[in-house]
Amino acid sequence: MAGHPHYREAHPLIFVITHWINLICMVMLAFSGFYIHYPFFDGFMGVARGMHFVAMYVVIINLTFRIVAAFFVKTAQDLDSREVDLDIKNWLPQEKNRHQFWETVKYYLFLRKEGVISAKYGSLQKIAYLATIPLTYLQAYTGFAIYGPSMDLGFFRAGLDLVGGPMNMRVIHYLGMWVFILFTMVHAYLANIYNFAPSKLIFLWKETVPEGKH
Amino acid sequence: MAQEAHGALHDLLAVRGVTRRDFLKYCGSVAAMLGLSETMAPQIAAALEGAPKLMPALWLNGGSCTGCTESIAQVDTPDVATIVLDYLSFEYFETIMAAAGSWAEKNITKRAEEGGYILIYEGSVMTGQDGNTLFVGGGPENEGAKKGIEILEEAAKNAAAVIAVGSCAVDGGWIYGYPNASEATGVAAWLQHKGITTPVVSMPTCPVNPEWVVAMVVQLLLVADRDPAKFLQVTPMVKVPYTDAITGEKVTLLMPKAIYGQTIHDNCPRRGHFENGEFVTELGSKEEAMGYCLYKVGCKGPQTFTQCPVTRWNRRASWCVESGAPCIGCGGLNWVDNNSPFLKRMSDMRIGDTFVQPGTIGAAVGAVAAAGLVVHGIGMKAAGRIGDGPPMEEMKAYDRKRLAKKGGDK
Amino acid sequence: MARVVVDPVTRIEGHLRVEVEVTNGKVSDAWVSGTLWRGMEKVLVNRAPEDAFWVAQRICGVCPISHSHASAQSCEDALGIKIPNNARIIRNLIEAAQYLHSHILWFYTLAALDYVNPVNALSADIADTYALAQAAGTRITDFGAVAARLKAFVENGQLSIFTGHEGWFGVGAEKHPGYVLPPELDLIATAHYLEALELQAVAAEIIGIMGGKFPHQMTSIPGGTAFVPTEQKLDDILFRFTRVKEFIDTALIPDTLAIAPYILDAASFGGGCGNFLSWGVFEAEDLDPYNRYLPRGFVETSKGLTAQEVGPDDVTEDVDHSWYDVPSGLNPKEGKTVPKWEQYSTSGKYSWGKAARCKGVPAEVGPLSRMLVAYVNGRPEVKSIIDDTLAKLSAAAGAQLQPTVLVSLLGRVAARNLEAKVVADWSIEWVNELIAALKGGDSSFFVTDRADSGQGAGLWEAPRGSVGHWMTVEGGKIANYQVVAPTTWDIAPRDSKGVPGPMEQALIGTPVVDSERPLEVLRVAHSFDP
Repeated sequence: MAGHPHYREAHPLIFVITHWINLICMVMLAFSGFYIHYPFFDGFMGVARGMHFVAMYVVIINLTFRIVAAFFVKTAQDLDSREVDLDIKNWLPQEKNRHQFWETVKYYLFLRKEGVISAKYGSLQKIAYLATIPLTYLQAYTGFAIYGPSMDLGFFRAGLDLVGGPMNMRVIHYLGMWVFILFTMVHAYLANIYNFAPSKLIFLWKETVPEGKH
Repeated sequence: MAQEAHGALHDLLAVRGVTRRDFLKYCGSVAAMLGLSETMAPQIAAALEGAPKLMPALWLNGGSCTGCTESIAQVDTPDVATIVLDYLSFEYFETIMAAAGSWAEKNITKRAEEGGYILIYEGSVMTGQDGNTLFVGGGPENEGAKKGIEILEEAAKNAAAVIAVGSCAVDGGWIYGYPNASEATGVAAWLQHKGITTPVVSMPTCPVNPEWVVAMVVQLLLVADRDPAKFLQVTPMVKVPYTDAITGEKVTLLMPKAIYGQTIHDNCPRRGHFENGEFVTELGSKEEAMGYCLYKVGCKGPQTFTQCPVTRWNRRASWCVESGAPCIGCGGLNWVDNNSPFLKRMSDMRIGDTFVQPGTIGAAVGAVAAAGLVVHGIGMKAAGRIGDGPPMEEMKAYDRKRLAKKGGDK
Repeated sequence: MARVVVDPVTRIEGHLRVEVEVTNGKVSDAWVSGTLWRGMEKVLVNRAPEDAFWVAQRICGVCPISHSHASAQSCEDALGIKIPNNARIIRNLIEAAQYLHSHILWFYTLAALDYVNPVNALSADIADTYALAQAAGTRITDFGAVAARLKAFVENGQLSIFTGHEGWFGVGAEKHPGYVLPPELDLIATAHYLEALELQAVAAEIIGIMGGKFPHQMTSIPGGTAFVPTEQKLDDILFRFTRVKEFIDTALIPDTLAIAPYILDAASFGGGCGNFLSWGVFEAEDLDPYNRYLPRGFVETSKGLTAQEVGPDDVTEDVDHSWYDVPSGLNPKEGKTVPKWEQYSTSGKYSWGKAARCKGVPAEVGPLSRMLVAYVNGRPEVKSIIDDTLAKLSAAAGAQLQPTVLVSLLGRVAARNLEAKVVADWSIEWVNELIAALKGGDSSFFVTDRADSGQGAGLWEAPRGSVGHWMTVEGGKIANYQVVAPTTWDIAPRDSKGVPGPMEQALIGTPVVDSERPLEVLRVAHSFDP
């Protein structure tokens, strides 16, 4: 096994748990969402709607918790280090990310050979991860806006009127799901393209330490 | 005073063969319609009897198919309902009035000068071809003809209130659908555009459900004592803002909440089957015979705000979903664009001149992304990055360049 | 020579303008103009072919069912769909309900006020009214109550649809000379006017039950029907058809025969172009348009009373006198819609209607056309009722009337009411046919298989006449859509050769007694049910 070390300090247990919750809920949301969009077998609508709501509430609470925790929990600042600092610093741009955006793009387009220096997360990664936060909340908003009991509330009504009615909102909610599907595809691909060490860490909390490191 | 009027109405009803019992029964159904308790019937009756003379009304047809007039002709319990409609004295009503031509036309002008009437408008406001997509009333060689929009403006200016009946009058209806070649728009938007401040009550669906119109007429005449200001005060309204593409106006439509406050889906008799996950997958199938939910064949009930399942149509004979057809959302704004294809769950998105299903877009983007990742993965493998990852740079490219530049300077 | 204009022509669907030149008390020239353009065909392009069924019927709020059926058929023709037998019967029933609704509404609510003067009915003697009703074999109701009710209307003193237009009907010396019925007959007709308001709604309830609502139905979706009848619904339908049929038998037909002798002069004008087109309506089991209950055919009376074959390719549309910027003479299959308003001018362009032509000549459409085509084809139900009626009217006129007398204002009015009777009789048969089919275990109502490209036409008949929808589908989307509505035929302006349209020709020769109140012009215009 080679590459970077993957120490537990990078993803403390609490974030392994939140990541699991996220994954499970997102899968449930996508599945039940597709079912609600077009019921591809019979007898599941009530369950699907229930699942959609439960998963949505859990995801929102989980996300909110995760954001708050970022200000209190300490995580490793670099992949090859066990040194920790506040997690939130890992999310915002760091010194190592400066001037690296285009270099990262070039790297993935095979326009350069060497991997780029980065903090725990590269510039593209940070943008993608941070974007999921408002997108998740927006997805909850669009969902509430097409949900009978809440669509008439001023807060949601305003959105409906902005986009030209519930049908358009439904389309936006639906396409929003595709954005998450795309995110998940690219995320899973990039995380595991070199080896499965990241997955072992985030799912099983198992460290991978290359020879010569400790 | 009230005593006198009581007598007058009583006689009027009596000669028309309506018993007091029929009358109270009707007032009860009016009460139910307005969301009031049936015990309100005597009060409504009293209000009705207190009203002195018929309120003058004009019924104008714009860019219409006459379907809303047809619909009104279907209204229930005709004896009594006709009275309430007769309670309005229609001084202009193209489809049913005896007179024609200038004999009919001059009634509009006369009444518009006198004021104190309500205007019921059916059909779109036709602004295309400089307003010439509808013209009426010219002499030989069309000398002195008026455009449809001019007649609307003339009639609306002095009206106590305007009731825009049917989706066409509300926002242009199907005619407003892309590409809206005749530049149709709605009454509220056009009047606002022309600075006419007469209040407009909007009553969509295609055509309008006659019982709702009757309910509003009763509400205006009886509950609100013919006072439009009071009418707007005592009638709970949903305020629906939208931006009209023809005039560019931001309009807030007023729609009676008792009628347009909830979705069809929420009141649908087939809702139970929806929750159970029992669906009609093919029209006219055995699932239809069992009354299953039409959601999968494109029913737009979940996003259409009308009381259709409660009021029903044609004297409560049936309604769209009961007869086996998915709702097409004719009570929504810009209903054709927002609900077609009618047999699909979601409306098409318009890209340029073509219409595409959101699902097609989603699946296409997903497939392209998946293919892209596979290709990229092959590239990563070919580049030898799999396993340990790439060799890392020693220094950021940016720093290297800067350093080189600095070095060059030296 | 004077120009007389009727605009708006009231008591019709939509917006119509009639301009005539009156010479020596007769119309010597006429220009009929459709004064509204909405752009239906453009809205449909690029949408799903099935969607046209819902949208296209909204061309007309009085005959939406026929438009919906023509649209569905154009889609089915284009995409190679053959509808199940149950769907065929259900569509026939919905169509029949609309025919009955429309014909009752036309005669009593729309046209009657051209002949019946409700103000005059006030001077009727109630006892005489009963006697007259008895003699005419028409429906007896409480005529006294109706008279009292009418009195209240009039004495109320406010304007309304009947009253306040004394100027139109006229009182005393001003009384319009065109209203010739005795007051008792006026009263009977007014009483039936009020009853008809109820019965037309009963007929529409049938559409409500089977089609979800009326106007604008929901269920005859391309592929068949979405309506699956239950025992209760079948009963509701049968009960209502029976009620409507009874009204037609006891009021509409006797009233027609009672009024006709007073307006026999209407047999001498208002005939028009003499070319009669019927696409055929009420599908038979073999789905052959020449075998429909009211069959397809084209009669040019100048060539004798025989029916020629006719099809979608025989139609062209000229726009020399219409506000469109497209070539004249196109078949709707390749038809285009590009509006371009110019000045109104009777010597130039004067209508939003295109000039539809069949085999190059103007063609009248409507009940008269259908009845003539059915008559010359020897349809027994039609032949017997026409021969029977001609015999009765011959007695009243004191001369033997030939079938050609139908080509007139009177013929057009009578044909519509006779057709109502024929259709009412069939409707009961069809309900029983449906019951038998269901009893036989046929549970197919809809077919989903379809091609995704093709070109097709749906040629059908609305109560007011021939309706054609042409649809081209490419890759599951509508590439072109054209409609030739009944009114397009009848109110057509002049064509490329300068030949006036059917209503224009019918107006020429019509007497105008009072050019201030051109009642006869209105009668001829209304007789087409535009």
